[in-house]
Amino acid sequence: MLPASLDEAVEALAATPGAVPVAGATDLMEAVNAGRLRPAALIGLGRITELRGWRYEDGGTAVLGAGLTHARMDRPDFAALIPALADAARTAGPPQIRNVGTLGGNIATAAPAGDTLPVLTVLEATATLARAGGTREVPISHLLTGLDPLRPGELLTWVRVPLLHAPQVFLKATGRSGPARASASVALVLDPARRAVRCAVGAVAPVPLRPLEAEAWVAGCIDWDARGEEGAALIDPAAAAAFGEYVAGACIPDGALDGPEGAGALAARLRRTVSVLARRALGRALK
Amino acid sequence: MTTTDPIDSGAIDPGTVDPGRLGSGPVEADPRGPGPLDPLGFSPVEFGGDGRPCASYILRVNGFERPVTDAWIGESLLYVLRERLGLAGAKDGCEQGECGACSVLVDGQLVAGCLVPAALASDSEIATVEGLSAGGAASDVQQALADSGAVQCGYCTPGLAVAVHDLLQRNHRPSEVEARQALCGNLCRCTGYRGVLAAVQAVAEARGTEEETGEDAAVAEPAAEPVAGAPETTEPLAAPVEDTGIAQPSATQPVAPQPVPPVSAQVAADLPPAGEMPLYADSEAWVEAEALYPAEPTTAGTGVGIDYGTVTVHQTGIYEPYPGYTATPAHGTPYDSSYESQSSYEAPYDAAYDTGYGQSHYEATPAHGTAADGPVYDGAPVHGTPYIPTPAHGTAYAETAAGYEGYDGTTPAHGIHLQPSAGGTSISEDDHA
Ligand SMILES: Cc1cc2nc3c(=O)[nH]c(=O)nc-3n(C[C@H](O)[C@H](O)[C@H](O)COP(=O)(O)OP(=O)(O)OC[C@H]3O[C@@H](n4cnc5c(N)ncnc54)[C@H](O)[C@@H]3O)c2cc1C
Ligand code: FES
Ligand code: FES
Repeated sequence: MLPASLDEAVEALAATPGAVPVAGATDLMEAVNAGRLRPAALIGLGRITELRGWRYEDGGTAVLGAGLTHARMDRPDFAALIPALADAARTAGPPQIRNVGTLGGNIATAAPAGDTLPVLTVLEATATLARAGGTREVPISHLLTGLDPLRPGELLTWVRVPLLHAPQVFLKATGRSGPARASASVALVLDPARRAVRCAVGAVAPVPLRPLEAEAWVAGCIDWDARGEEGAALIDPAAAAAFGEYVAGACIPDGALDGPEGAGALAARLRRTVSVLARRALGRALK
Repeated sequence: MTTTDPIDSGAIDPGTVDPGRLGSGPVEADPRGPGPLDPLGFSPVEFGGDGRPCASYILRVNGFERPVTDAWIGESLLYVLRERLGLAGAKDGCEQGECGACSVLVDGQLVAGCLVPAALASDSEIATVEGLSAGGAASDVQQALADSGAVQCGYCTPGLAVAVHDLLQRNHRPSEVEARQALCGNLCRCTGYRGVLAAVQAVAEARGTEEETGEDAAVAEPAAEPVAGAPETTEPLAAPVEDTGIAQPSATQPVAPQPVPPVSAQVAADLPPAGEMPLYADSEAWVEAEALYPAEPTTAGTGVGIDYGTVTVHQTGIYEPYPGYTATPAHGTPYDSSYESQSSYEAPYDAAYDTGYGQSHYEATPAHGTAADGPVYDGAPVHGTPYIPTPAHGTAYAETAAGYEGYDGTTPAHGIHLQPSAGGTSISEDDHA
């Protein structure tokens, strides 16, 4: 089925038990081809044009359609709006995948290596879920952690992202030089108004992690007043490095390092990767 | 721009397309809407003999309508094209979206055919590799791939042909980085991609020359424009497809020789580059590769720009030497004395051969007990010579007979920063910040 409007889609979803909504199908068909999924019916969302764009809302918020493709988010106009999300979309697979893979699909799949997820977490986005006869708003983190999951018959329609006019960075480490899923990723934003730093680490756990203590600590190490001055050092390099270690230690607990030989070594390597990513992300945000 | 793709006829005008809709192709592409031709539109799902949900629909492939009946809704476009419609050009490499062998165009978008549910593509324009070639001949892209050695086992080739075609349609002059980024979803286990990149450049150049020729012609004889073969200059090749009525995609016209009508050439030149923004090149989101290839900032992640020296065209079978490389001399050529600077051999070798090693730098091992003339060891002291006594605990080093030069006798307290020595071994951090 290819409903042309949101209302038709939620009605069709309610009327067809077992029907699966399909956006870009990059995750869905992977599961079907691998024999993990046998859908009773498919409801294509590709024709719901309203979900494929974005709009502004009361000045400070961007409302992104769930049907925005990664390729679309990578383009300069969008990158000017939410640079970290554009960076995440830019690295989310090869062109064949990014041409059709969507923001909504990335969130609904909620894969550990989903690249938009740490960015949305760090931006503290909220999702609008629509079902026949109503909608509700859920913070992305509640959706991802299962605190308030997507229910049967619900469609993810919009993602509200507060627009921060401040540096934001997404960095990703992968196992090869071509497009690949993240082995670790870090999203970091500065909030100069509140003199805060927010950071989320992706791909190392089932959901993106927020190292809150490290965030609070490093915010105190930053010389916020020097911002904009020529050649000003906003943070001591040693403090930035310590921030990296702090984040990595918070996300990969010591217990993981004591695992059986191979696992322990892997965890140690991952910790180092996260540490470097976090340090660099902070350095770039403060550049 | 030359193309045989019917999908191209809808030329997207960026001005009229809702920004969020770009992904869905030409605005007017589907005049039929969810009518009787869209059997999926809200009709209850049928069930096949084995109880699986099935659907019947019509696919528009390379400009032709191809009915598909009673197909399981989970079938991928790749499967339907190959197994039901007999279009075996797109290959099944992984069914997981990783390899790109199944690349096709859906509504002008390069996609992995294996990840498209065929039933949901029923209102889309599908273009496959079969639609690239004209009348059984290879398209310019395919020919260039073959010519530049980009084809070995050939399994990746149809996917690459579609991807290269798509790239050149959006970006007439892709740089090597752009080409690599555009083709990074197409894996080739055989050729190492150099040939593919060469093919991209070859086609881009050939088409560029064509366009220039077309422009020249336009300047020289503007009156000739209407008779250039296609009055509707924006879609010069669309008409023949409909006229033939033959249900074979091969009925299109040859691609390469068609001169580009001047108007469309100008339009193409005026368009802002429609290519993908560099994927990783300008991205800060690419970390590991930066460490691997620090040489070129613009190429992180793609492996592009590593200077392989002046390697000449790949796959010619003739390797031209790197500059500075001296060819191995032919068998029997006498040694150049510069080859072994210390060598006292003279050609021909046998001159010194019979007279032993006298002329070489080899010196016989001296007899046991002979004093060695090296600077290091000057003989063990006579038995009984007393050692310089180790100083008492706490004695400052400078007081010892052999006080170390430059050492001021004190280890700095823990935590005091050491001044990096002149030869500086301080670790410079790769911070990129
Ligand atoms: C080769 C390959 C490489 C990839 N690399 C990356 C990568 O580097 N980074 C990354 O993050 N991802 C990657 N992915 C995963 C995938 O491309 C993304 O997760 C993509 O965003 C999924 O979007 P989609 O539109 O294709 O989702 P779909 O496959 O259409 O849907 C996925 C799931 O979400 C549900 N769904 C979709 N839209 C909605 C909605 N609006 N409301 C409710 N439910 C919905 C569907 O029912 C389905 O269960 C890769 C995939 C492949 C095949
Ligand atoms: S078969 Fe589709 S990408 Fe490999
Ligand atoms: S030629 Fe064999 S995979 Fe490319």
